[in-house]
Amino acid sequence: MAGLILRQIAKTFGETRVLRGISLDIADGEFVSLVGPSGCGKSTLLRIIAGLEAQSSGEVLIGGEDVTGVRASDRNLSMVFQSYALYPHLTVGENIAVPLRMRQLTAAQRLPVIGSLMPGARARGREIAGAVSEAARTLDIDGLLERKPGQLSGGQRQRVALGRALVREPAAFLLDEPLSNLDAKLRVHTRAEIAELHRQLRATFVYVTHDQVEAMTMSDRIAVMMGGEILQCAAPGVVYDDPEDLRVAEFIGSPKINLLPADVGDGGRLSVMGHPLDLAVPSGARGVRIGLRPEALVVADAGAPLVGRVVHFENLGSDLFAQVAVPGLEDRVVLRASPRMRSSLRLDATVALSFDPAAALVFDGAGKRLRDLRRPAANRHREAVL
Amino acid sequence: MTATDTILSPQQLSAADPARRQRRTAWMLTAPALALMVLILLAPVAIAAVLSFTNYSLGNFGFDWVGVENYDKLLTRSTYAKMFTATFTYVLTVTPISVGLGLGAALLINSLTRLRDLYKTIYFLPVMATLIAMSIAWEFMLHPTIGVVNQTLAKGCGTWVETLWPWLAMHCAEGMPLWLGNRRYAIWVVCFVGIWQGFGFNMVLYLAGLTSVHRELYHAAEIDGARSGWERFRLVTWPALGPTTVFVVTISSIRSFQVFDTIEAFYPIGAGPGKSAYVMMFAIFEKGVEQNLIGIGSAITMMFLGFVLMITLIQRWLVERKVHYG
Repeated sequence: MAGLILRQIAKTFGETRVLRGISLDIADGEFVSLVGPSGCGKSTLLRIIAGLEAQSSGEVLIGGEDVTGVRASDRNLSMVFQSYALYPHLTVGENIAVPLRMRQLTAAQRLPVIGSLMPGARARGREIAGAVSEAARTLDIDGLLERKPGQLSGGQRQRVALGRALVREPAAFLLDEPLSNLDAKLRVHTRAEIAELHRQLRATFVYVTHDQVEAMTMSDRIAVMMGGEILQCAAPGVVYDDPEDLRVAEFIGSPKINLLPADVGDGGRLSVMGHPLDLAVPSGARGVRIGLRPEALVVADAGAPLVGRVVHFENLGSDLFAQVAVPGLEDRVVLRASPRMRSSLRLDATVALSFDPAAALVFDGAGKRLRDLRRPAANRHREAVL
Repeated sequence: MTATDTILSPQQLSAADPARRQRRTAWMLTAPALALMVLILLAPVAIAAVLSFTNYSLGNFGFDWVGVENYDKLLTRSTYAKMFTATFTYVLTVTPISVGLGLGAALLINSLTRLRDLYKTIYFLPVMATLIAMSIAWEFMLHPTIGVVNQTLAKGCGTWVETLWPWLAMHCAEGMPLWLGNRRYAIWVVCFVGIWQGFGFNMVLYLAGLTSVHRELYHAAEIDGARSGWERFRLVTWPALGPTTVFVVTISSIRSFQVFDTIEAFYPIGAGPGKSAYVMMFAIFEKGVEQNLIGIGSAITMMFLGFVLMITLIQRWLVERKVHYG
């Protein structure tokens, strides 16, 4: 087990700059998710860590050692691929054994038929079989060892791919969207299992996903990537409650954060839809927008800053999300309410919404977070997100 | 539904039984195809099988049953021993080499980033060309005196090449080989032309097979510690090409059994010096068509079919048991 350090990793494909100088320290035993929309360079970054792709500049350190120029097979990393990449002609047991056979057996011992007659091959073979059955037990697939990947379900294949990764003790585990081919229910289940596996192994995990829910639920830290850069890397709660950048605020959170244009008045005082707020920004700020999570909005009496008509609502059982069309706003405002409110949130009902200015996230015209507010916002800490 | 459907006798009821009706329709729909298959494929084979036990000649009004005499001849006479030797020499040489070269060429072309299409075209050209025309071109090239092969070899005489290559030194002293006229070389020259002509086809099949190999598997193999190209080939490429290989080997061996035009072009009479290139197809043609010995020709044909059937059965067995599709 070892930590990973990335220093100024850049990657260009021809004219296209895919990664623009990424630096990231991943501690030993940490679970870090790289999350971002498709095309943000997260998979490329993972492949550079793995050694499957060479960076244009910058360095990768594994356990303090610079591995630039070290090929993937010598980096002692395990990887789980999106397609699982199981060898279709080998049984589950043989698939899991491949990393050990390749590393622990000599070329002669790996030969078919006569390989097992080579000196030492028997003992090594028994060791490998032991490690394989242990890995299979950990993942609860010991009943499948004799089957071929073609006879397995998606979830079982995914476990076999995990088994192949954890059968040896690598410096770190790299996971490239391992859950994206599973159905929704299984994804939720496996998500928890991978997080538990991480706690059990205390190994370094780098997890690439485009699904912010996966990133939020499993990671110690989330690195939000966009346009080849890491916009913010912090604990899930911090990324959600205290985003550095408008793009982070927009990407993390479902439903999406509500963005309201704000006017800057005298002394930098902000007002929304003509309603002055108890918030002020340094004068000179332009194009200010305030972000409000759906749960920051509350149904209030008339005279609240936002008044609109309920145009759609989604009842998730535990929560109720209402989309409110506010005249003068381009996007609908999404409100999270408890199901008890269902009677008052009928379609076409007019609602007034207000919010605590302390819960508002203020961004400048460039999308950077404005923290120098006159009335400092106390961060609300939430235990469970989403 | 017509009016008669409403009143049915018990017999009519059973005839209207849906399962039976479906069965009858199925047979009716299959009948044309079945008839054609019997007429065009099975009947001629059956007739050949019957004729192989007779001394029939085309134009005769009758024939005599001769029992297994024709087969007995095939297994005892030295001409037919030569036939089997030539045939199996050809099949066992051309099949593995043309499959191997096809795979090698496909792997090399697949690793290229540029000029892929150029190489593909070059290697595929002999496949598209008529073998009989190409054989004539080879005949010129292999001509003992004016052929380009012997002239090139002669250039090596008296140089350092001769000291390194005893075979060349011997021929520099005794004269260059008669490639097509020498009993030792004849069948190998025929094999060479067969390989030259056939491997491009195998290459195309392997190239198609290689496109189906999942790229992520190579990455997985690399992460799993497969350092050398050979290890990645063993772990990923070769198993993935299993179905292609079975198909390529079957097609190549059946094509090798069928070789005829090279030999017909090189040796219109006699099938090579001392019948050294007397392959089965040529024997069928010579006996059955040229000499009008339909009985013996049919017997060779039956043997030929037996071999091809055997290869096909082996292929079926391999496909079902050993090769992974997926």
